[in-house]
Amino acid sequence: MVEKARRVPVDSDERGNPTPQWEVFVRNEAGDPMRHVGSVAAASATEAHEHAARLFGWYAVDLWVCPAESVERFSTRGLAADAEERSDEEAGDDDDTDDSDEPRVYEETAGASEVNSL
Amino acid sequence: MISISKLLCDLDAEGDGLRYDAADESKKPQITDEKQHRPVVVWNTTRRCNLYCSHCYAGAETEAATGEFSTAEAKTFIDQLADFGAPVLLFSGGEPLVREDLIELVGYAADRGLRPVLSSNGTLLTREKAMALKDAGLQYAGISVDGLPERNDQFRGEEGAFDAAVRGIENCLEVGLKTGLRYTITEANAPDLEGVVDLLAEKGLDRFCFYHLDYGGRGAEIVDVDLSPAEKREAVTQVADLTLEYHDRGEEIETLLVGNYADAAYLVEYAREEFGEAKAQAVYDYLERNGGDPTGERIADVDYQGNVHLTQFWQGYSLGNVRDRPFGEIWEDESNPLLAALRNREERLTGKCADCQYKSICRGASRLRALSTTGDLFAPDPQCYLTDEEVAGTGSAVGGAAGAGAD
Repeated sequence: MVEKARRVPVDSDERGNPTPQWEVFVRNEAGDPMRHVGSVAAASATEAHEHAARLFGWYAVDLWVCPAESVERFSTRGLAADAEERSDEEAGDDDDTDDSDEPRVYEETAGASEVNSL
Repeated sequence: MISISKLLCDLDAEGDGLRYDAADESKKPQITDEKQHRPVVVWNTTRRCNLYCSHCYAGAETEAATGEFSTAEAKTFIDQLADFGAPVLLFSGGEPLVREDLIELVGYAADRGLRPVLSSNGTLLTREKAMALKDAGLQYAGISVDGLPERNDQFRGEEGAFDAAVRGIENCLEVGLKTGLRYTITEANAPDLEGVVDLLAEKGLDRFCFYHLDYGGRGAEIVDVDLSPAEKREAVTQVADLTLEYHDRGEEIETLLVGNYADAAYLVEYAREEFGEAKAQAVYDYLERNGGDPTGERIADVDYQGNVHLTQFWQGYSLGNVRDRPFGEIWEDESNPLLAALRNREERLTGKCADCQYKSICRGASRLRALSTTGDLFAPDPQCYLTDEEVAGTGSAVGGAAGAGAD
């Protein structure tokens, strides 16, 4: 499939579960690039830093936190964009055969799971 | 998830014992070949719940929350999981039955080749709902009950919740939907454990999952009501004894433990005590192939806002959000140092875990409990209840280098 750089905005304002989310960035060693390493749930920047430091402090020389809703995101693979395409197709097609899926890398499925049905 | 009944009642100790006796060093099993490579995904479909339980890891509320996936978004999310090859999707919450599109989504997951299972408080599971879910392809419903009526209703914040949950269980059983109990053991309800199993077994239930309290969500606020390590050991002994008693009577109930892999080590000790060394070795080998604590590997969680978590209990940290990029990409991204470290945690465990003979079947148990209570991600789990002798391996031939030639 030809990859087109068709980035669309991704919603950022409803990430709290319900505690506000803070995006976390770390730098491994001086001179390395900053790397996004997920988000922490915290009521304040101070708390977010403390929380992130417990998770990454053993590793990072620099650590930044940023309110998740302050990040404007644009993605080629956002959930909402794919879902919108789905809605359009389902509205246009009687049959919701699912052949519009973008195939991804992993084809194989795992075998019977030991931890099935938790 | 550790199946007591399988380990103690189904494992063929004789066969494994013979192989143990005849084993040579070159026959060490290739553990990685048998490990499950894709996680079971727990999806908190909604934050809403019709109950308000004191131990809820998801911090669920009776009020509606914003930002839940629309039906179309949910299906796209299920596509992500199917493309990644996740074997099982566990619909959880909040209470998943408050989502009006639940049956549609269960059906969609089944069509996409995922094994759909449900975690519910059971109170909304009418016979019709149970039938519709089964018809849609649901494979299993785990229903939470946390004590005999008085204690359960107090815990769950609503009078009549116990009876309603039991009706839900009966409805599932009547329509032929496989059903099991979920019971989170705390100081408050430990005395009810046996009574609940007896009561529900009488109603035809044959699968019982016992959860240890993990320290996330509202669970973190009730660390004080968790059992002490000694009491925990007693509770696990009780479940193991109970399993053997039932099986001795010909009632082959399935019993499982979730959330504390010290249980794995303890069951090896228990098997040795009850059945001897060969059985203990068989149990050890099985658990080693099983892979120990599954956090960040064989279990994943996605909350109702799309944040991906290392387990369903670990809601305070997210690896990324499926609104930004697909689940599989997030899960495979080991440039995240925390994820990479957790997947090689044996090398980093400190204190008594570092040299424990059971390290490879336990893997330090709950990293979340260690983090919550000590601030150190690789410190020992405060709920490890093994004795110093059991950790050191004095007087035992199982585990560590001594067991290396097994199988």
